[in-house]
Amino acid sequence: MATRVDTLEPLPSPEPERPSARRLSPSEWARENLFGSKLDAVLTVAFALLLAWALYRVGRFVFADARWEVIDRNITNLMVARFPRDELWRIWAALFVLAASLGFGAGAAATSRRRDLEEGRAAPPGRTEVLRRAGPVVALVAVLLWFAGSLEATILTLGVAAVAAGAYLGGRRVRWRAARFAPIVLGGIVIAFLIVAAFGGVGWDNWGGLLLTLFLAVAGILISFPLGVLLALGRRSSLPAVRVVCVAYIELVRGVPLIALLFMGAFMIGFFLPPGVDRPSLVTRALIALVLFTAAYVAEIVRGGLQSVPRAQIEAAQALGLSPLRVTGLIVLPQALRNVIPGLVGQFISLYKDTSLVFIVGLTDLLGVAENITKQPDFLAQGLIVETLLFASVIYWTGSYWMSRESQRLERRLGLGER
Amino acid sequence: MSENGGPMIVLEDVSKWFGDFQALKGVDLSVDRQEVVVVCGPSGSGKSTMIRCINRLEKHDRGRIVVDGIELSDDLRDIQEVRREVGMVFQQFNLFPHMTVLENVTLAPRQVRRSPKQQAREKAMELLERVRIPEQANKYPGQLSGGQQQRAAIARALAMGPKIMLFDEPTSALDPEMIKEVLEVMEELAKSGMTMIVVSHEMGFARAVADRMAFMAEGEIVEVGPPEHFFTNPQEERTKQFLAQIL
Repeated sequence: MATRVDTLEPLPSPEPERPSARRLSPSEWARENLFGSKLDAVLTVAFALLLAWALYRVGRFVFADARWEVIDRNITNLMVARFPRDELWRIWAALFVLAASLGFGAGAAATSRRRDLEEGRAAPPGRTEVLRRAGPVVALVAVLLWFAGSLEATILTLGVAAVAAGAYLGGRRVRWRAARFAPIVLGGIVIAFLIVAAFGGVGWDNWGGLLLTLFLAVAGILISFPLGVLLALGRRSSLPAVRVVCVAYIELVRGVPLIALLFMGAFMIGFFLPPGVDRPSLVTRALIALVLFTAAYVAEIVRGGLQSVPRAQIEAAQALGLSPLRVTGLIVLPQALRNVIPGLVGQFISLYKDTSLVFIVGLTDLLGVAENITKQPDFLAQGLIVETLLFASVIYWTGSYWMSRESQRLERRLGLGER
Repeated sequence: MSENGGPMIVLEDVSKWFGDFQALKGVDLSVDRQEVVVVCGPSGSGKSTMIRCINRLEKHDRGRIVVDGIELSDDLRDIQEVRREVGMVFQQFNLFPHMTVLENVTLAPRQVRRSPKQQAREKAMELLERVRIPEQANKYPGQLSGGQQQRAAIARALAMGPKIMLFDEPTSALDPEMIKEVLEVMEELAKSGMTMIVVSHEMGFARAVADRMAFMAEGEIVEVGPPEHFFTNPQEERTKQFLAQIL
């Protein structure tokens, strides 16, 4: 309770008028920010002209000059390359399973966030949040369907979207902790994978196009992340043998170009295997090279995070009687990892795009198909590489942008409350 | 586990080196059950190092430390056993910033004692009531004032039901207006019969609460005695000088 002081007038509340909070009309805003001075005006006009010219050229190319027939006719090749066409139903089935499990997970996560919201631990979502988050991906799918021009694919895609939306609403209705719904999401991913690859399905050696790109990226991230964390912890271990092995590994791998690792994986791995053991398939070898490469970088990023956790945090945890494993797992790693989200996501975006390098060891990922289809008899020597590369780039960009945005969201969400 | 009656903490000829620097020079100290000892002395005199040795945040190089009948050695199980019985409060609070206050307090009971969740929560809320911040339970440490954080840290240390509490300059990082709220909580704790070693220069608190005062300088305990003698009639020259400076 505030003590009352009789002789003083209460201060006027500072709320009513704050000049900066006044909303400007668009013309006022433009006058203030775009045409504030003569130089401002000149720069505004110059950049507007430049932008308009660039947009015009791109727009003219995309909508008038470009010959998209090469994409139209090869959309299935771009998606899956030499994946057998009479097994495509497996991919659709897998998409339905993924939509159900990921949609459910997203819904349940949103609910667990709502609980944080009620307890004042999270910021409320903006009105346009769902649109902003799903927008780029939805736009990309629309473009793909437009190229496919297939009623069947459109109906199936709408079905996948409907299942995802339904699962999301279902997920909103449960009040589960992450530990309870995470197994459902992971299980869904495993089942989707098995539908495509097992039970008489198509092993990943016959995957290609976007399917191979996404497989390499997702599997690469999921395997290299824990491996990198272990390497980072090993590098700080008090056991000299562990430390030396980890340091040697990290420094060796970081000193070699990824292309060299891919070639080594493709052609030299046989030297390291005991006699009688079959060489793993080319895709597996490429995946191993990508994982080994990324893990070394992840390890150094995570080490930076580990160093950012004050020694006092470890002491406080030890003083409570926590075992060394729990000190690391519950106190050090959570703080270390959240401090290095930007670096980690940057590395994963790199990995996603670096999967295109598997082209050089003879795999046909998305970029590989984009190059190959310009050599088909109908399209040979017509300079169509611009169209196909632009198409592939849009797909890469959408994925990278999505990862970047989601990581910013995660940062904001985890950062709140620390200040 | 030792029988009741023997001293709670015994330090015998404890020495500790940091490189060439000797931080503790043969410290002897015995603390009885339910006794409150306040340790003061100039900075660098080894006060913090001494209490950090008692729960093995620092390893002593020579001598013996026995806590409630358990001698500290390299045996990790003994160390864990001692840490479960000794709560510690730090100058900089050292709450875990990625957990809410409630999660900070329930962490050790859940992970180390394996208490059921509901029981741990109830006990934690009880402790937060005791340090008078139950309404902060679901906030993160970064959202609390320094005084509130330090009280949350005391609740966290109490959650393991320790027999001994160590305080390492608990009010030195606080703004003046927050010192009192923390000292009040510590005073109540002392009255409840907790065995405490408090490194502090809050002499008002020491007069009111301490059973014995200890003065440290240059890695040695120079003088130990009941506060009434310690403040009015110190025996050692160095104690006199120190008290003249801070009183």
